[in-house]
Amino acid sequence: MTLRISAVEKRYEIAASNATVHALNGIDITLEPGKTLGIVGESGCGKSTLARLIVGLESPSVGSINWNGKDVENLSRNSLRTHQSAIQLVFQDPYSSLNPRQRIGESIVEVLTVHKLRHGSEIEARVDELLSLVGLATDLKSRYPHQLSGGQRQRVSICRALAAEPQLLVLDEPVSALDVSVRAEVMNLLIDLREKLGLTYIFISHDLAMINYISDYIAVMYLGKIVEFGTWHQVANHPRHPYTEALLRAMPDHTVIGNPESLKKTISGEVPNPINLPSGCPFHLRCPIATPQCTVEVQNLINIDNGHAVACMEVSR
Amino acid sequence: MSLLQVSHLSIFTSQEPRVLVNDVSFEINQGEAVGLVGESGSGKTLSALSILGLLPRGVEATHGEINFEGRSLRKIDAESMRKIRGNEIAMIYQDPMTALNPVMKLGDQLMEVIESHPEVGELTIERVREVLRDVGIPDIARAINSYPHEFSGGMRQRIVIAMALLLSPKLLIADEPTTALDVTIQQQILALVAEERQKRKLSMLWITHDLGVVANLVDRLHVMYAGRIVESGTVKEIFENPQHPYTQGLLTSLPSPRGSSRARLSSIPGVPEKPWMVGTSCAFAPRCAFATDKCRQELPKLSGNTAHKVACFYPLGVNS
Repeated sequence: MTLRISAVEKRYEIAASNATVHALNGIDITLEPGKTLGIVGESGCGKSTLARLIVGLESPSVGSINWNGKDVENLSRNSLRTHQSAIQLVFQDPYSSLNPRQRIGESIVEVLTVHKLRHGSEIEARVDELLSLVGLATDLKSRYPHQLSGGQRQRVSICRALAAEPQLLVLDEPVSALDVSVRAEVMNLLIDLREKLGLTYIFISHDLAMINYISDYIAVMYLGKIVEFGTWHQVANHPRHPYTEALLRAMPDHTVIGNPESLKKTISGEVPNPINLPSGCPFHLRCPIATPQCTVEVQNLINIDNGHAVACMEVSR
Repeated sequence: MSLLQVSHLSIFTSQEPRVLVNDVSFEINQGEAVGLVGESGSGKTLSALSILGLLPRGVEATHGEINFEGRSLRKIDAESMRKIRGNEIAMIYQDPMTALNPVMKLGDQLMEVIESHPEVGELTIERVREVLRDVGIPDIARAINSYPHEFSGGMRQRIVIAMALLLSPKLLIADEPTTALDVTIQQQILALVAEERQKRKLSMLWITHDLGVVANLVDRLHVMYAGRIVESGTVKEIFENPQHPYTQGLLTSLPSPRGSSRARLSSIPGVPEKPWMVGTSCAFAPRCAFATDKCRQELPKLSGNTAHKVACFYPLGVNS
């Protein structure tokens, strides 16, 4: 049940302006079963595109995504359905991923019947079982999404994903749209489910604090590339890439108060347009330690310490 | 000296009156930055909008007083309020596009602000260039001939800040201006605001749901829950010695980006109560681990000293 992403690139052609968006520019990931990989990055870094490729909603332009020894792209219609049942996606906004005119119970039944997982009288019992698995009362079955709170709706989304009996859950900003006081509950639920069902997670977020809390490994993405990879401890506590360092210092942290340093800006400029990728290192335009060499030469991930890898020639020098 | 004083403010919906903000009082002193923290529906934005008389249709401030430099903002006429808005009190919002005209060039929009306030005296396009430079807009000659859509989200928020600073207001009200931005851009904007505030001795009211954002930005803060202020105090007091179980719950339910421990996050069960459903009880009681019958029957009053006030019968860390 290993996920292997090899040299994946994804480009989108814009016909009107004859331009190309370079969303992913060479991604390699191997994820062992039972582990959680956190992917952190800012908007436009390609993290959600990667999620869509992993579940097979889109195909990579270059490279391959391999699940359990099989290439996702070459799956037949039937095996693609099996694949999508094994790998489920949970979106940020549960309100837009649930049908507003479908009762909660029906939306879960739908998953069971589409994937032919339960039949006849087994269905009802399975729906109840799934609802209690995510901590929801079974009488919510007859409600519509708008009658639930944000936290309950996200539990329903997770419940629908689990109904397909997946091995891997791709969670794309699953708590970002929730009120602060209900985020911890959903995070703890995800951690409990991982343990109970032996799930593998890919947890995508811009929030390094949530990533740090749930992940075994962290990949930091910038402009369609992974710039740093390591265990959560290596990346969050000993960041080496200048972008990771800047991201970490820019994260609001309620545990640090009265620190004027936190109000000094860490990096200037903005993420370049993925239509006109900069030459050399994608980060060199904003990097405090860039050298002339960085403007021409691309550095791939280099192992600097026991699996901790950084794509920066200044750091790995 | 107190610049703005809000006392016993209550806001109701006009039809089938429902309370949204309930007996809220706070003040902002000259040169001080104050945070208003709460989740969606807690009443933080409505409290701020009512200061400038900008409450949406169907929502009314029914009780209370708002005083700005000795003038009652609830009693003044529309024309006087118009002179205060943008000139003495400026406001910035979460989405800069709500404050920018999409079909008007930037230079014209900023000049319009100046022209609509003849009482401030002679200001020219030179003033526009100056504030745009202050907020870090590159290539100003080109910027003033550009439309809002030609800028990134971060740049647009800088422009809106420039617009707010244009007439050198005494008070800046900011309603989650960085929530929609990426973290590195958010930090650039926070750094900019902190710097301008220092330079101009600006007073500030900062509204947010993110305790991390205000931890180093404001001097004092008020925590709102279901339409009421449940705890207020200095940043140091609130973060290091939270007394309301809700505030403490919020602080311990957030992981730290630098955290090196995997201790399970404490979580607050349930969901926030709607302000009009509360009645005379503590709104947080249904979610509170320490609640007693008293909490479910009586409303705890906000009490304490200026450095720290809490609305709880059993404040944490305090021997009763």
